[in-house]
Amino acid sequence: MASTRDTAQRLIRSLPRVALHNIKSVQPKTRKKVRRSFAKGKTHGRGHKGQGQHMTLPRLGFEGGNTPFYLMIPKEPYYQNHHLRRQYPPLTMLSLQRFIDLGRVDTSIPIDLTQLCNTGLFNVNIDRKHFGVNLTEEGADIFAAKINLEVQWTTELVIAAVERNGGTVTTRYYDPKSLRALIDPLHFFKRSTAIPRCRLPPQDALEYYSSASNRGYLAKEEDIEVERQRLAQKYGYVLPDLHADPGSTMLKMRKDPGQLFYGLEPGWVVNLKDRLVLKPKSPEHLEFYAS
Amino acid sequence: MQRMTSVCRRLSSQVWSSLTMQTIAPNLSAFAASSSTTCKVRQKSTDAAEPKEEAQTTQQFSGHIPVEELEFSYSRSSGPGGQNVNKVSTKVEVRFHVPSASWIPQDIKSKLIELEHNRVTKEGYLVLTSDKTRKQMLNQADVMDKLRSIVFKAAAKPRGLTDQEIQLRDKRLAKSKEETLREKRQRSMKKQSRGSPSVGSV
Repeated sequence: MASTRDTAQRLIRSLPRVALHNIKSVQPKTRKKVRRSFAKGKTHGRGHKGQGQHMTLPRLGFEGGNTPFYLMIPKEPYYQNHHLRRQYPPLTMLSLQRFIDLGRVDTSIPIDLTQLCNTGLFNVNIDRKHFGVNLTEEGADIFAAKINLEVQWTTELVIAAVERNGGTVTTRYYDPKSLRALIDPLHFFKRSTAIPRCRLPPQDALEYYSSASNRGYLAKEEDIEVERQRLAQKYGYVLPDLHADPGSTMLKMRKDPGQLFYGLEPGWVVNLKDRLVLKPKSPEHLEFYAS
Repeated sequence: MQRMTSVCRRLSSQVWSSLTMQTIAPNLSAFAASSSTTCKVRQKSTDAAEPKEEAQTTQQFSGHIPVEELEFSYSRSSGPGGQNVNKVSTKVEVRFHVPSASWIPQDIKSKLIELEHNRVTKEGYLVLTSDKTRKQMLNQADVMDKLRSIVFKAAAKPRGLTDQEIQLRDKRLAKSKEETLREKRQRSMKKQSRGSPSVGSV
């Protein structure tokens, strides 16, 4: 992707020379209109004598000395900045096990947010500042499925419970635009727009998703392997060997940090009607979507 | 996370950090670095490095416990909890035969049995239990933590004195001895001076 600086330089080279005839002020200067009314003469709307006419009125909200209304009422900031915080609606391991047992989720393919939303029993609402699924610990003891799982938030116990059964977990961040496509891929493909490239997590989430102990998607593989062994020692289970597993190819499948869907790259356009996948060929497009 | 720290507070952070990759995973096989371009489905091909049969070093306990050599059994916990505590097996018991354990250095086995004689059976099985939390997995982690700290305690060598400490000790002993002798001499002279003076003394 061309940097801002390159874009700016290209613009400067191509645009005409700056002159008085092709520039405009940012905010047009408007003269404050002087209000002159024939009717409002003599006291000019101020009344007679007093603070009103003498320009000594007290501040707004003053009630003559008693504690004013705006100080009397206490602050109850229970939901302060609530609208700015990321939310991860919870899904228990018990629910996930139930989905698997009832066949609502296919364990032979990687399970990510799309699979969970396709069940119809788990909903993510982007307008409510939802950023994905939070897999909780309830039911970790009885969890007995071998899956390749991708969630947005989870804890150590959950990771141990999944890995104990021979599965793998990854925590992965999706920005709201990518998340919208992920939740309802069919609706997204019907719009026939290019698959977006997933953005990196914001500053406060970067540490979480780069940490191997959280199985973050930005963490190194070697660190994750060490953490797997450490967790097996901590919780006292024999770590199943992923290499020896016949389903290991599926278990090792991971999306690239910029990739949204398995098997599809950013920049591709899916045409459902004609059952085609259109891929960009120009080097600028490829550079943009690969960066 | 608060719950986990309360369960596994016995081991210090130093000990946990000392459980390096070598000690935790002696049989780790290396992943071959995938050379795929961006956005392809990554399939990690593994260098099938044979798992090395690392000889168990009997010199020092590294912190690694082979879980397959331990026997876990589960039962119902005690205490309040209604239907949940009555039905769910959350209590964890671990046992293993201490004299035949290959992962504990030979010289600390006797020390271990001596320290934990309350928990060792006649046959030599060390038995540990935990029903601290509501979850079996957390109780199992608690029991592992207990076991690890017990073995570390048994392996701890008594701290010997450094040269400086020996020097200081000897210096102080010599000084106190000197002081004692000085007091004895003074006392002796005091007693002697109480007698009547003899002819010839000044």
